[in-house]
Amino acid sequence: MENVLSILFCLSLFYVVVTSRVKAYVTVLRVQGIILAILLMIPFIYHFSIFGIILPATLLLVKVFLIPRYINKVILDLDIKRRIEPTIQQMVFLPIVIASMIVIFLASNILSKSTELNVIPFASGFSAIVIGIYIIMFRKKLIVHVCGFLILENGIFLFGTAVASELPMMIELGTLLDVFVVVFLMGIALNRISNTFEGFEITDLGRLKD
Amino acid sequence: MNDLIDSHNVLFIAAFIIQLLSIVFLSIKNERKALFSTNIVLLIGLAFGLISTLSSTLFTSAEISSRNIFSNFIRLDGLSIYFLFIVQLVAIPITIYNFSYLQHYIEQKRPIKNFIIFYLILLISTQFLVIANQAIFFLICWEAMTISAYLAMVLEREKEEVQRGSFYYFATSHVIIFVLYIFFFLLHHLTGSWFFSDYHILFSTGIVVPIIFILSFIGFGIKAGFMPFHFWLPQAHPIAPSVLSAFFSGVMIKTGIYGILRTFQFLNPVPEWCGWLMLCVSIISAIFGVWYALAQHDIKRLLAYHSVENIGIIGIGIGIGFIGSANNLPVVQVLGFGGALLHTLNHAIFKSLLFIGSGVVCQNLETRNIELMGGLVHRAKYIAIFFLIGSVAISGIPPFNGFISEFIIYTGFFKTANELKNYYPIIMLMFVVGLAFVGGLAVACFTKVNSIMFLGNERKEVKHFHTSIYDNSSLGILALLCVVIGFYPQPFVGVVNKVITNGFVKGNSSSALINIDWLYFTVIFSSIALSVFVLYLIKIKLEKKYGRRTSPAWGCGYENLNPRMQYTASSFADELNTIPKSVLVYHKKVEISETAFPLPSKFESHSKDFIDSKIILPLFNFLKLLVGKIEFLSQTDVRYYIAFILIIITIYSLIAFLWV
Repeated sequence: MENVLSILFCLSLFYVVVTSRVKAYVTVLRVQGIILAILLMIPFIYHFSIFGIILPATLLLVKVFLIPRYINKVILDLDIKRRIEPTIQQMVFLPIVIASMIVIFLASNILSKSTELNVIPFASGFSAIVIGIYIIMFRKKLIVHVCGFLILENGIFLFGTAVASELPMMIELGTLLDVFVVVFLMGIALNRISNTFEGFEITDLGRLKD
Repeated sequence: MNDLIDSHNVLFIAAFIIQLLSIVFLSIKNERKALFSTNIVLLIGLAFGLISTLSSTLFTSAEISSRNIFSNFIRLDGLSIYFLFIVQLVAIPITIYNFSYLQHYIEQKRPIKNFIIFYLILLISTQFLVIANQAIFFLICWEAMTISAYLAMVLEREKEEVQRGSFYYFATSHVIIFVLYIFFFLLHHLTGSWFFSDYHILFSTGIVVPIIFILSFIGFGIKAGFMPFHFWLPQAHPIAPSVLSAFFSGVMIKTGIYGILRTFQFLNPVPEWCGWLMLCVSIISAIFGVWYALAQHDIKRLLAYHSVENIGIIGIGIGIGFIGSANNLPVVQVLGFGGALLHTLNHAIFKSLLFIGSGVVCQNLETRNIELMGGLVHRAKYIAIFFLIGSVAISGIPPFNGFISEFIIYTGFFKTANELKNYYPIIMLMFVVGLAFVGGLAVACFTKVNSIMFLGNERKEVKHFHTSIYDNSSLGILALLCVVIGFYPQPFVGVVNKVITNGFVKGNSSSALINIDWLYFTVIFSSIALSVFVLYLIKIKLEKKYGRRTSPAWGCGYENLNPRMQYTASSFADELNTIPKSVLVYHKKVEISETAFPLPSKFESHSKDFIDSKIILPLFNFLKLLVGKIEFLSQTDVRYYIAFILIIITIYSLIAFLWV
């Protein structure tokens, strides 16, 4: 079950790589949030506990409802254009991503022989981290950077579930809060930037250098 | 908590609380009133602190006992109390001077409230620094002291020289804290404790111990301003507000001396090379400090170089103490450390006096250039007198306090030569000659300062020379202290002796310091003073009888004398400055037209710091060049940094992968 969900997660990453619409990013974030929530709920199917449900519930609330809605709001409010404005073509980006994912999967397979870990969730989480960084690197729009950051964050989540069977809940809640605050701040910053500069592109920020 | 409720501790803690409370009064809207009330409360706090310090066992006849409070974080032993005493004693006149000094800045609409906050933090952190018993607490106080001093220093931040000088200070402070971190980590590594009272290391433990000594020498030495590390002093002192310059030179650089003495306490006894290192560095600091001072035109820069000189003299005392410690000679130790400690107090007093005095003059004339001053004795009589007392004291001329401490150090030299026969007498004699030479140059330098600043005719027109009661009282307190320690040194020498015998000298402590008949000094000095007074009375009497004849100075045959036809500071010091021309980096440019109808002639002379201009600046220019090579990595775009991170992560994971 975990493996199937992880594969689904990977497929959502591919969609992110090839799409050129900002809206699609938000959709993918929603899907990934749902996948992660289900993944966290799996251990509690057999022995239900109200305490264990807190984390998946919060995750669902924050990652599926609050953050995407907030990003959508920012997009609407600031009238950001729908295109993501990549710096490299999708058809070039896709092979790079596939190549890195192959390397990651092979490496995790070798690693799994010496240490105990679930290969597929581990590798998917790792890929999400790398792809999150790629997205930040190869896209110009600030709002897409936020999405890339969130994908990276999702990757860390998946990574964590793969390495340890369950992370201490306080830490996970802490990360959730962290992400929420970061997105919130980014929204405020975007608002400010839109007042100061015309566009929402990262190159504009270069002018802020002293 | 039981140990806290003790009449001493209550007073002691109350002093700090009152000092902190003064910050509340800054909320008063009117800046003048806020300044006044804050300083008054601060003064009360400092006075409380001084009373609690004076009532501690160090200053009473009882046997000294060290007290630990706040679960060992604070320890009041002899050395701590002595330095706390110095800080509080000097901080009081400086705070009094604050009243009048900051008035000027209120008129300029500068943020003086910020300045007062930083000054307050500086005062409190310096007081805690010298009584801290825990390494981390010590470092926190050290940083608080450094940073608040920096923030207070940039009061006139739009001036370029201020930016430059404060940057020097800030950068060197960074180096110091870096060195001190390693120093304390090594100490912790050796002893497994963070508390100073647990640090007792034998020098033979291993190679780490000499490293610890060297680190302390570098770290605290930069703060104190020993010669190869002094370059920040003449940059930072002139640009700081005069209140701060006085505090820097009087108190803050003494924390370096405190650190070196503490380190000695940890490592006691030290081998002999430590003593020689200390002596050589100190004598170089003393000689060249005063020589550089002679070449300066900027009064505050000149005084900063004199700090280097006096730190050198203190260092000489410490060096003698080290040699005594290596040879297990309590007599030599007592004399060496005694001289050093007493000179620390003395220097704190007369150097803050001189800085405050120069501050008053600079503020009125709006220049720090000595060449533009002159004839000020007619404008501000008391300031001239107090400044003269400070100058005489710093030069080590008998009736005042500078002489007493230098006398102890001289005695230390002779005692060392006497106790350790062999080749010691020759070397000690050389050092004695060096120290005497320093004294001579100091006299020359302060003759120049006093005569150019206060005597002669006025070179720059000043409409109104403003001095207030605060200036005169703060200078008066300090001058009185100079006189008191000079005329009646017995109690102060007793205190110093007590500090040293308490945990400083191992084995049989010697009473060499007290055995000197200090009362003779009192008698001799008093009789000299009395005879001077009698001569003065006779002079007044004769004047009454025959009248006073006044006439202008002899103009060497020229007529229509004007203020420009006077001895200048550079002409006075020219002969002496040309001897070590290359070391002083002394440049002189003379343009005299030799045509039939002479055109205006030009003369200029200036001196640069050798260490600064020949070592520090080239080094950093080289570093700048080196760093410039990888400047292309500094991009404006965040994405490049993300890419760098990714590359680094890939490399790390590859290494980890191959390693597994």
